[in-house]
Amino acid sequence: MIKASGLCKKFRRIQNAENEKKKIINKNVEFYAVDHVDIEAGKGEIVGILGPNGAGKTTLLRMLGCLMEPTEGEIIITDDYDNIINDTSDKKRRIGYLSGNTKLYHRFSIREMLKMMGDIYGLPGEVIKERIDNICEILKMEDFIDNRIERLSTGQTQRANISRCLIHMPDIYIFDEPTLGLDIISSQSIIEFMKSEKEKGKTILYSTHYMEEAQYLCDRIVMMNHGKITATGSPASLMEETCTNNLRDAFLAVSEMGIKEDEIKGDEDEQ
Amino acid sequence: MNSKVIKSLYKKEILDVLRDKKTLLMMIVVPLVLYPLLFLCSMYLASSIMSESTAHSYSICCEGVDDPKAMENFIFEKSADYNYEFCFIDSLSMNGLPEDISNEEKYTLALQNRLIDAYIIQTTDDTDFRAVYEIYFYSSDSQSNTAASMISDMLKEYGEYVRVKNVSAAGLDPERILDSVKYTFKDLSTHEETVGSLFGYIIPFLLIASVLMGAMYPAIDVTAGEKERGTLETLLTLPVKNIELIFSKFLATATVASGAAFLNVLSMGIIGGYFYGSMSAATDTLKDFSIGVYVPAILITLVAACLFAMFCSALCLFVCIFAKSFKEAQNYTTPVMVVMMLAGMAGMLPGLELNEKTVWIPVVNVALLIVKLFSFKFEAALILEVLVANLAYSLIFVVIMARTFKSEGILFGDGSEGIHIIESRKDMKENQIPGIGDLILLFSVLLIVLMMAGSLLTIKFGLVGVILQQLLIAAITLLYGWYIKTDFKKVFAFNKPQIKNILAGTVMWAGAYIIMNIVALFLAMFFPESADAADSMVMSLLDNSNIVFILIATALMPAVCEEIAFRGFLFGTLKNRYKIVSAILITGIIFGAYHMNFVKLFAVGILGAINAYCLYKSDSIFVPMWMHLLNNSFAMILAVKSDWFEQYIPFLTAEHYSVPQMLILAVCGIVLTAAGFILFEYIGRKKNKAK
Repeated sequence: MIKASGLCKKFRRIQNAENEKKKIINKNVEFYAVDHVDIEAGKGEIVGILGPNGAGKTTLLRMLGCLMEPTEGEIIITDDYDNIINDTSDKKRRIGYLSGNTKLYHRFSIREMLKMMGDIYGLPGEVIKERIDNICEILKMEDFIDNRIERLSTGQTQRANISRCLIHMPDIYIFDEPTLGLDIISSQSIIEFMKSEKEKGKTILYSTHYMEEAQYLCDRIVMMNHGKITATGSPASLMEETCTNNLRDAFLAVSEMGIKEDEIKGDEDEQ
Repeated sequence: MNSKVIKSLYKKEILDVLRDKKTLLMMIVVPLVLYPLLFLCSMYLASSIMSESTAHSYSICCEGVDDPKAMENFIFEKSADYNYEFCFIDSLSMNGLPEDISNEEKYTLALQNRLIDAYIIQTTDDTDFRAVYEIYFYSSDSQSNTAASMISDMLKEYGEYVRVKNVSAAGLDPERILDSVKYTFKDLSTHEETVGSLFGYIIPFLLIASVLMGAMYPAIDVTAGEKERGTLETLLTLPVKNIELIFSKFLATATVASGAAFLNVLSMGIIGGYFYGSMSAATDTLKDFSIGVYVPAILITLVAACLFAMFCSALCLFVCIFAKSFKEAQNYTTPVMVVMMLAGMAGMLPGLELNEKTVWIPVVNVALLIVKLFSFKFEAALILEVLVANLAYSLIFVVIMARTFKSEGILFGDGSEGIHIIESRKDMKENQIPGIGDLILLFSVLLIVLMMAGSLLTIKFGLVGVILQQLLIAAITLLYGWYIKTDFKKVFAFNKPQIKNILAGTVMWAGAYIIMNIVALFLAMFFPESADAADSMVMSLLDNSNIVFILIATALMPAVCEEIAFRGFLFGTLKNRYKIVSAILITGIIFGAYHMNFVKLFAVGILGAINAYCLYKSDSIFVPMWMHLLNNSFAMILAVKSDWFEQYIPFLTAEHYSVPQMLILAVCGIVLTAAGFILFEYIGRKKNKAK
């Protein structure tokens, strides 16, 4: 299980602003990329994170994957017996993290890369060998497992990327737009993979821009904008709340509500 | 640190680097193919130039020579010894020249048209009636050039010949008269020592260059390359600690760099062996030359090279982690390479020797150690110290890197920490904060300028030179700041100071001054030479100068110019990028190090840090300027008017204090400094309340 409460991430950004003399200057401003977010995902659950570009999805997932330190708030990860894990390295051992930014070592073959990662996870040699054969079978990589990754096609690379998350058999998967830029067949294989892992009782947190996919896959949806959660619930309940009949319209309805709220808030500020 | 993790990461890095074609090229092709090829080419070129110049025959003309035939004959005879050939051309036999001009003009035309290579005209000196030969030639034409130099050789010999003839004609012994003093050389150093000293000049530079080349590519590849290829984020998903990551990258880079160094040394060795073989076959001067005596020197050099490779790797990695792409990293490493290469030339400087002080200067110590080794002077303590220094510096860098690498700005960064000056000015953002890369670049430049131009100016112009040097510092800093469109207000803090801040600063300085002097006195007990060197340099300039002028040169100018560079650019950048405490401490350390004197490092470092603190609190650069001015002028007046002080306030100029005196002083210093702190904090609090 993974649970985060009051999660915040502050960044610095250079922003144009006017100074006293009405001259445009660059100001170094702090802002919240993720602003007090509470999120939870249990066993056998797929939680989808939706939101426009710049909503803070990647930052949130990076923090949950222990790649980034949160500015505020805490992340609790528990093992099968509900014991809380404290050590960051131990947390990482339970997480399979995959995003568009996690590229593979081009100069290695898939087998070499999996072996290297297994070593770093501290697995014994025989276990690594066994698992590589196993993964190879699941993801149907027999034909290219010994090729250097630079020579693989996009679909093959994506499968190699998934294989990387399987070597240490994590309980929690964190996927940041895993189907982005893939053809239907490749993305279908990833969707199938997530479904099968869910059935094994694994926890999956993932972000996407594809509404149909989210509607089909997710048990729960979290909608984000400007670093804050705007709506949360099962796809069905979200559609009901917004009186729409698909998730795309529900998402648009929530975004519009957000814009209106901002305007009202803006007006209040001006007064 | 988990050794298993480091081992697997290390294996991964080595494999990754070795599969990179660029690195392989730099590591294997350059030393093993390019060097021998270059060597062979240059040998071939040299021999072909030599054969070209001797095999050729040169056409020359003589005009007005008393006895042209006799001279021609002499040259003919002599040139046979030298293997060159001269053709004497008669002006009449030259075709295509107008008939109605003088011989001299004809020669000039012929020379211009390359019909002849040179011509000689003999005249007579009006005063003592000696023969004067004028050799006309074209220095831009290599053949004409050689012809002229050969003629001058000939004429020298001809002169000798005439001299001997004249002396013997007068009935004297030409040898006794002309060579009344006889001397010969007796070289006491063995062949091995002579060759060794030659090695000592060449090897450090080549070795430093090759280690740098070997370290640079893997360093860029494992940091910026990894970032550019997007594998860094993948690596971060693994249960790996920062220090493990950095340490394995460092080990891998150092391994590759040492490998490169080893290959380079091997390649040089093969070339040397080949040279030695061909030389000993050709001559017998190398008969009693044994190459075995170099074995200990070579072995220690290899160990030193490995440790130096570690240092280079750590430094290169440290620079490269700030870059987000391969290209950017190359831009950062280039200035570092230049500085290190320059330092590597230290071995060639006369008078610089490995001693207790130079042993701690990175790069220079390795160069000097190799010089020493090849002149067969083995001093175990110094050798050990060089090795320890290199190891220690590398580890320090690794630890700092592991801390820096934690910063998400660097891991996922947008590159705002970089060097801005590489962009053209119109592309720069307005009001930016300089990057760490900018700091490294600017201060490297300042250091070089100071070492080269600064000392030259001081030697040449004395106190005026000191002023010029200071102006140079300020000018370079401000120019750099202007070029990258620095936010001057934010970085340099040119704000009007408040009186109370100046007062607080004055109190602070008084305390700092006492503490500084106690620290300096304390250190001077352990490093007496260092303390003397610091004083004598400035004092030598002061003779016979007006006190006002002295104060302008040594107090006002440094106060303004050094503050602009150190508290302005340096601290102004750091305070916007790091925690304030680290910014203050780094400023102090760099300011101390800038004075390039061990005793001053601590004393001046304290002043630097305290000035930075006062600037931070007062937000006006004029406060530290005022403190700097107070400090320097007080020290100067003490030094210049030491007689007066010794007479009236001897306490101030005493060189030694008793322990109780020291303690009282220390307490005074601490109390004053603390008072300064409290004042600043009090003023700060009041300001906040007012808000």
